Amino acid sequence: MPSISLHPRPLQPPPTPASPLPHLLHTPSGLALLELQGDIRFPPTPASPTTHVGKLIFPLYNPVLNGEDDTKWMKRVWFYVGGNQRLAGEVKKLGKPFAVVRRRVVGQDKGREGDTVMGGADEAGKEELEIVEVVRYKIVFSNRPEPVGGTVEEGG
Amino acid sequence: MTQQHEGGVPFSVAHDLQTFRLLELPPEIVELLDSPSPPPLSIKSLPPAASNTPNAKPAYAVLCTPNKSFQLRQVQTSNTLFVTRPTLEAHGDAIPAPTTCAIASCTATLELHLADASAVSYLEDALPVYHVVGGEVDAEENRKSKAGVFLHVPLSDGQCEKAWNELIAFELNGSSYRPSANTLSQVWQSINAAALAEGINLDRQFLTNDLAKLVEEEGNPASLAVAVCRHLSQADRDTEDQWCCLDRTKTVAFVGVTVLNARQGKPTFLTADFLEAWKDCLPEAWRADAELKAIEGAFSLPTSSTICAKSNVVTNTKPATTAAKGKGNWHERFGKNRKK
Repeated sequence: MPSISLHPRPLQPPPTPASPLPHLLHTPSGLALLELQGDIRFPPTPASPTTHVGKLIFPLYNPVLNGEDDTKWMKRVWFYVGGNQRLAGEVKKLGKPFAVVRRRVVGQDKGREGDTVMGGADEAGKEELEIVEVVRYKIVFSNRPEPVGGTVEEGG
Repeated sequence: MTQQHEGGVPFSVAHDLQTFRLLELPPEIVELLDSPSPPPLSIKSLPPAASNTPNAKPAYAVLCTPNKSFQLRQVQTSNTLFVTRPTLEAHGDAIPAPTTCAIASCTATLELHLADASAVSYLEDALPVYHVVGGEVDAEENRKSKAGVFLHVPLSDGQCEKAWNELIAFELNGSSYRPSANTLSQVWQSINAAALAEGINLDRQFLTNDLAKLVEEEGNPASLAVAVCRHLSQADRDTEDQWCCLDRTKTVAFVGVTVLNARQGKPTFLTADFLEAWKDCLPEAWRADAELKAIEGAFSLPTSSTICAKSNVVTNTKPATTAAKGKGNWHERFGKNRKK
């Protein structure tokens, strides 16, 4: 019965650029969770490593006016996808937080991110896992998208 | 400080998605992880059952903390769960803007379910009985160390250690065993005799190894003597402590049950004879403690003058746990828990 170490802290905390999300969703590593019904499909654009698919708007989030402790803003999040679709969602506190677990990158791959495969065949030596982050909130969009006009109005 | 970008937070999806697993954490584990120096965790996994096994079941795994274990169960979701990370991205001619980028997409999460089954039944399966008859050792070697045995039990080391102590298991010459009632009875008598000869008060501090050496001279494994002392020592003792101090109440009951169990399968045992044999196995000062109420639940009285052990417990002073009954494989055992 093989036993695999699950390290409670990451070996190398990933660099943490300031998160543009509301403060409540911040984690030390910057990781956050976003859940939606279905999936996001987009044509491949190999020139760039990422595809910009839309934007998140927290219309009621205003810590300057309502203070950092205000949580009413959590009730409403808009997610504009492409130019014509909008998802309505909210920020939820998870009853049970999620640990984000990945294979610990050891050896010469150290520092290189991505490319971590778990559960696959063991390549070089011992497999080790680590908890990268414990996430306590998620942004959820549980409804189907609704069609919207091409222009997005500020504040939803 | 959060600066919500004018017009919202740009959201992008990485083309090269990473693989993460999401573990839903029960409060016990959150607490561990929140502590300043969280303990090491491990995942013990069992490969899928061999294809020749009927109803081969998929692989499963347990997450172990130092003293608890949790069964991992994969839960598929129809929703997409993105793990996102802040980045600085420029699209088109725009200046780079703080962006939330999905770097992983999970279609399943892992739930953790407390597995509080006793490790006793697993150890009973893994450890051969060490039986001594007429000075001859009758035991099959398993060629496994304690750590080797624990590795194959789908429970935490703390749970294994508890069961190991409960069974008074011990290592000897590269194998590990559990003693039969007969063996226990002999080793105990040997301990008692050695204590008497050396003037050791068993319920005061004594050096375990000194006593074990004397027991070894009588032909019994020293490691078993140590295991017996540890089993009977006062609860708050560190198991690695070289000093030992027996719990008198626990020891008196243990000796009574051992004497009774060692007689299993033999003709009737007169209660009066049993009490006498029990007292003879105790240090002089403890003789008066040998009363039937000290071993309540471990015996039955078939007639008004005879006594016998209640169950067929071979080595254990405690009644067998429910988990000990099932000889089925792990899947079945966990399956039962699941249906609850």
